[in-house]
Amino acid sequence: MTMDKAIKEFVRDGDVVYLGGFIQHEPYAAIHEIIRQRKKGLTGSSCAGMIALDQLIGAGCLDRVITTYTWNPLPKPAHAFRRCLEKGIPHDVKIEEYSILALTLSYFAGALDLPFVGTKTLMGSDLAKNSSFLGENKLKVIESPFNGEKVCLIPPIKHDIGIMQVQRADSIGNAQAWGVMGDSKYGINSCSTVIICAEEIVDTEVIKRDPGRTIIPGFKVSAVVEEPWGSHPSYVTGCYDMDWKYFSFYDKATESLDGFENYLKEWVYGVKDRSEYIKKIGKKNLDALKAKPWSGNPVDYGYCAQYQEDYVL
Amino acid sequence: MKYSTDYSSIEMMIIAGAREIENGQILIVGTQWPIITTLFAKRTHAPDITICYEGGVVLESIPDRIPLFTGDPCIASNSVLLNDSLDTLGMILHAGYPDIAFLPGANVDRYGNINTTCFGDYSRPKFRLGGSGGACDFGSLAKRVITMLEHERQRFPERVDFITTPGYLNGLNSREEAGLRPGTGPGAVITTLGIFRFHEDTREMYVDTYYPWGSIEEVKKGFQWDIKVSKDVKVADPPTEEEIRILRDEIDPFGMYLKNNKAKPISTL
Repeated sequence: MTMDKAIKEFVRDGDVVYLGGFIQHEPYAAIHEIIRQRKKGLTGSSCAGMIALDQLIGAGCLDRVITTYTWNPLPKPAHAFRRCLEKGIPHDVKIEEYSILALTLSYFAGALDLPFVGTKTLMGSDLAKNSSFLGENKLKVIESPFNGEKVCLIPPIKHDIGIMQVQRADSIGNAQAWGVMGDSKYGINSCSTVIICAEEIVDTEVIKRDPGRTIIPGFKVSAVVEEPWGSHPSYVTGCYDMDWKYFSFYDKATESLDGFENYLKEWVYGVKDRSEYIKKIGKKNLDALKAKPWSGNPVDYGYCAQYQEDYVL
Repeated sequence: MKYSTDYSSIEMMIIAGAREIENGQILIVGTQWPIITTLFAKRTHAPDITICYEGGVVLESIPDRIPLFTGDPCIASNSVLLNDSLDTLGMILHAGYPDIAFLPGANVDRYGNINTTCFGDYSRPKFRLGGSGGACDFGSLAKRVITMLEHERQRFPERVDFITTPGYLNGLNSREEAGLRPGTGPGAVITTLGIFRFHEDTREMYVDTYYPWGSIEEVKKGFQWDIKVSKDVKVADPPTEEEIRILRDEIDPFGMYLKNNKAKPISTL
């Protein structure tokens, strides 16, 4: 499916959207398409993101945000994120913040459909004292019914739609991803609808040769989009590196509000799709980012394949 | 062993941080100064330390180039465990394994509470920062938290505007009363001015050590409250020439951390 069609068909105004990836695997191609289609009133949920939320906030697509961290990794400020929370530009966005462990546990609870999870993190912090649109339901500190000690209960967070870039998937959505995974496996499994953006669509036989690498089974996935370089300017392990120059460019380009608008005009509205964006980056720049191979020994999934005569029910 | 006479206060801070580490320890490490500090320790006196990052990485060796942050792609091909945050923040940190958690910080207060969220009112901040990431987990759960930051007076208010990462909260037993485990919390704050530790009962920060070029008066000026000074206040040994060589030539040969650091060389102070 094309990105254009996947976003049109599955992302509805007002949805709670999980943006997968933990630094790597962030779905920038999909984010740009959401902006191009001028989706509105979304809740963006991203555990430890870079400029994914920054772009969606600045473009006016989000009304609410769930996150632990949003910043340009240089490190430089995420300017649209700052403008929004400090000055309400382009409009006020409500933000609900956790720590990485707490939010990962919340996605985990969402993925398993657990009523809550208990943890010892977060208590005493102002993250625990302040809540916004989740109100009383952000978390609860209770005495454990088992030993009486204080415990922080985190509710499940579920998403209408989840989007994530991965290394490879087959055409029915069995998706394989590796490298630093952060919250991604739990986040993407806590979504009622899933769009997988893959660097490469492969034959199911490729998936079956290394099934331990699959993070979500195809039956949970609604759309698969083949989108090489879909995480640029972030990275995908084994495919391409972080484009630090682009983060530096983005920092300078988006520091002012006008600059941010011009960035969108040139790099999002000004291109039809990801292939045009990639053309704009240029082959020379892309070649310089390509990962050098570092492959492991293939793991063996074999078994003896013989009839075992002692095992007869 | 010859002491260096040409090093910066940033390099002193990194080496002072590394000296807190014992060989064989398990560390959970945040971004910025903690990265270079722990890799330096691993290259020098503590080769057997284990370094864990929040996204799901366990390192037993030094990556080919220094990571710029804890999600840097260069760590993937050098790790012994590469999975997700429930591995490192969960089954390692929440389970109580790390001896030390190393963190950066924007502001640190009298009781070691750290703010990386915002300046001013949370609902409409004057200046919004990136947020917790895993920092709140480090501060909530680790046995001994060491925070490293460049020392500027405005970064040491008596009370931070927002507690992103809990230290000893209001001192005394307030940390345990909030539900955090006994035997966890801040162990030291290490800056470009000195090393600051926490009183066993009051849990208040005090001056433990200052650097060879410094003075107690100068260190006290770096805080917005009247910080107490240990009766046994110490002066740190300067870095050795060999330590500075390893730091610059082997750990950070491209100057990714050290080239643009603002701190003046000690020889000019």
